[in-house]
Amino acid sequence: MSALGETTVAHGGPLRSLNALAKLAGPVPVMIALVFTRGVPLPLAFAVFAALVLLLGARLGVRWILVVVLGVPALAAVLGVSFGIWVDPATLPADGPGSQLVLARLGDWRFTGAMYLVGLATALRIAAIILLAFVSGLTTTGAELVRALVQQLRVPYRLGYTALAAMRFVPRFGHELEVIRAARRVRGVDGRRGPIAWLRGTIGLAVPLLASAIRHAERVALAMDARAFGAHDSRTERTISRWRGRDTVFVLGFWLASALLWWAVETAVA
Amino acid sequence: MPDAPLLQLEGVRIRHEGAERATPDGVDLVVHPGEVVLLLGPSGCGKSTLALALNGLVPHAVPAELDGRVVVGGLDTREHRVGELSERVAMVFQDPDAQVVTSSLLDEVCFGPENLLLPVDEVLERAERALKLVGLWERRADDPARLSGGGRQRLAIAAALAMGSPVLVLDEPTANLDPAGIDEVYAVLRELASDRDHAIVLVEHNLDAAADLVDRVVVLDADGRLVADGPTREVLTGRAEELAALGVWLPVSTLAALRLREAGVAIDPLPITPAELGAALDAAPALPAPRDPAAATASPGIPIGPPVVSARGVSVRRGGKRGPLVVHEVDLEVPAGDFLAVVGVNGAGKSSLLQALAGVLVPAAGRIEAAGIDPATADAATRSRSIGYVFQNPEHQFVAGTVAGELEQALALQGVPEAGRATAVRPMLERFGLAEAAARHPFLLSGGQKRRLSVGTALIAGAPLLVLDEPTFGQDRERAGELVALLRELNDAGTTVIAATHDLQLVADHASRIAVMAEGRLIGIGPTAEVLAGPLIEQAGLRHPPLARATRGLANHPEWRAVTRWAQLPAPGGAA
Repeated sequence: MSALGETTVAHGGPLRSLNALAKLAGPVPVMIALVFTRGVPLPLAFAVFAALVLLLGARLGVRWILVVVLGVPALAAVLGVSFGIWVDPATLPADGPGSQLVLARLGDWRFTGAMYLVGLATALRIAAIILLAFVSGLTTTGAELVRALVQQLRVPYRLGYTALAAMRFVPRFGHELEVIRAARRVRGVDGRRGPIAWLRGTIGLAVPLLASAIRHAERVALAMDARAFGAHDSRTERTISRWRGRDTVFVLGFWLASALLWWAVETAVA
Repeated sequence: MPDAPLLQLEGVRIRHEGAERATPDGVDLVVHPGEVVLLLGPSGCGKSTLALALNGLVPHAVPAELDGRVVVGGLDTREHRVGELSERVAMVFQDPDAQVVTSSLLDEVCFGPENLLLPVDEVLERAERALKLVGLWERRADDPARLSGGGRQRLAIAAALAMGSPVLVLDEPTANLDPAGIDEVYAVLRELASDRDHAIVLVEHNLDAAADLVDRVVVLDADGRLVADGPTREVLTGRAEELAALGVWLPVSTLAALRLREAGVAIDPLPITPAELGAALDAAPALPAPRDPAAATASPGIPIGPPVVSARGVSVRRGGKRGPLVVHEVDLEVPAGDFLAVVGVNGAGKSSLLQALAGVLVPAAGRIEAAGIDPATADAATRSRSIGYVFQNPEHQFVAGTVAGELEQALALQGVPEAGRATAVRPMLERFGLAEAAARHPFLLSGGQKRRLSVGTALIAGAPLLVLDEPTFGQDRERAGELVALLRELNDAGTTVIAATHDLQLVADHASRIAVMAEGRLIGIGPTAEVLAGPLIEQAGLRHPPLARATRGLANHPEWRAVTRWAQLPAPGGAA
């Protein structure tokens, strides 16, 4: 009964049955720590670690397995190039690894292996953070997260469930934006290029979208009021969100494994 | 006290913040258990506002001033919060999209009882009962977004029923639905009405669907005053002339019978449904000949000009190059001066076809020529000189800060110098009744004004072809009628009009030809009378307009079977 109508990317697996907060509490500190790292090895190790946790802990469809195994690494490789070309070679040590390797040349400008490595380090940090975010993102529904926030963290339910209702606006606005764009094309107001035209165009799109968003929000609010939303200080929770022993084990285990991995990589590199 | 009133209104006046006068203005009303009440009135009379007062949303959630007393199950709404009142009055609103707050049907119906802090067993029991009643229990695990409009509105009814309130208030529940959805919702309402477990207050302008299931009709006039309150038949037929004069829309069958009475046919009592009108016509010993059907169908005339639009093998995808095909190989020719109605249920491909004809979408396959250009490749200026396109929601296409600015922008696109624009804009503003609103922001206009402005911007560059996507959707009959009259006028002056619509009585009365679409295919096209007389309408999942439903089955007057439009009824005041 509990998961009726709420689907996640994962079809099952041990991660599905963990508390939504556990799946956040485990990876989030690691994600924050990764922001402050440098170099390739650490983010690479954690990207692999997160991918393994996902592949072993969640039953993913073929498409998402491909995203994790091929898509994210490909993204990192491409992002590495785009970050790398902005690196000022003068800031790199002249004899660092890859500095003699010229990958591309345009006139006087050279794209060296060393520049790529700097770009790659940034790209891998992003990739590792994405994969760590997937650990909860692909295995948790919005409703599960809201339930855990309301029941475990005592977040006011009026806030949590209103946010959940607002999430349902997103596809509607996407569709509406498409129609407004088409309408502006018909009116011939989207042709010009340049930052000022772009700004004016964006404002022009925002006015009808906002007007409709406000009206929609008012209607939804009336409909929720009419169904007694907010009438009492709490509401019946049909599905109980539990913090079980395995949630504690997962969080502590995740932290311990991450600490060990961090230490191992640091010592191996040094 | 089994018959204690569930709802009691005493001298209710409601003034919206910023409004000058109160609408409704002084309404007394008592509703008892099991009653089914229809609340009627011309647009702007405050009937929806009155509905919002029945569960305390006015004055608690809507900024408005409430005078008088509204007592719900013994509670004065002023002194109790909406949450408390919701156990006594449940509500269903007009827009099915704006009532869904969760991601499954079951969660949606449980939402209300959960807010009432009921125990889990009771929540589930209520949800099951409500979903079974509206026929959605099997789909309880689905996402509401996957339901049709009619399905979502049935879900909204189930969610209201789960509140366990003895009163159900529905505010124009079918205004945003296609004919199939309207039928679905009314099938559910008919069952609820016959169970007598709930008192129902229905605000509705679609009287043809509602008239036969309500027992009592309450009518407000344009000033929001109560002018009639009594049994359905007594009010709708006994005071029909008076109500029509007030601007209240009566059932088409009643209006048609009134017209026939004037022409000397004795019809008594007045019918309120197509079936009753049909029976009354068959019972009449003699009927005047319908006004020349040939003249009626030929005027506005089957146009014989060269084609303005010619489409060959047109297919259209939605959502980009890999999106699903929603229009399949449509061949279509529209002669100059035609008034073509494109009909079909939601999702039949009407909008996509019209957008391809107007160059809003690029077709995946096929060739289109419209007003001498290829709409897919022409630039915006050329296109708007040739084709005017009006979106379903006029707000989507407004790009300027003032009404006059909207029209000037269209001229600027044509390269008209600034000095010349004002002289061209003024007559357009006058023609569309917008002269006084010239300096206002388009978003601050009334619904009818917005619609007229959107037609004006589409036409100011001189386009000979006007394409409109569901121009009457979500509007009441009065505004829809105004707009169709405007289109009629433009068409008489030579503009070719192509419009997608659900309203088949409007189609019957004004279109010269009908194109019928089903599942992305054009399943037929022909003169209005021919299409309405044939099987296409039913094949497309639509229902015949009320007048056609009344006359199709006539046994005794075969010459009346083809009567589908007003113009064919005997002239007002004319003798038989």
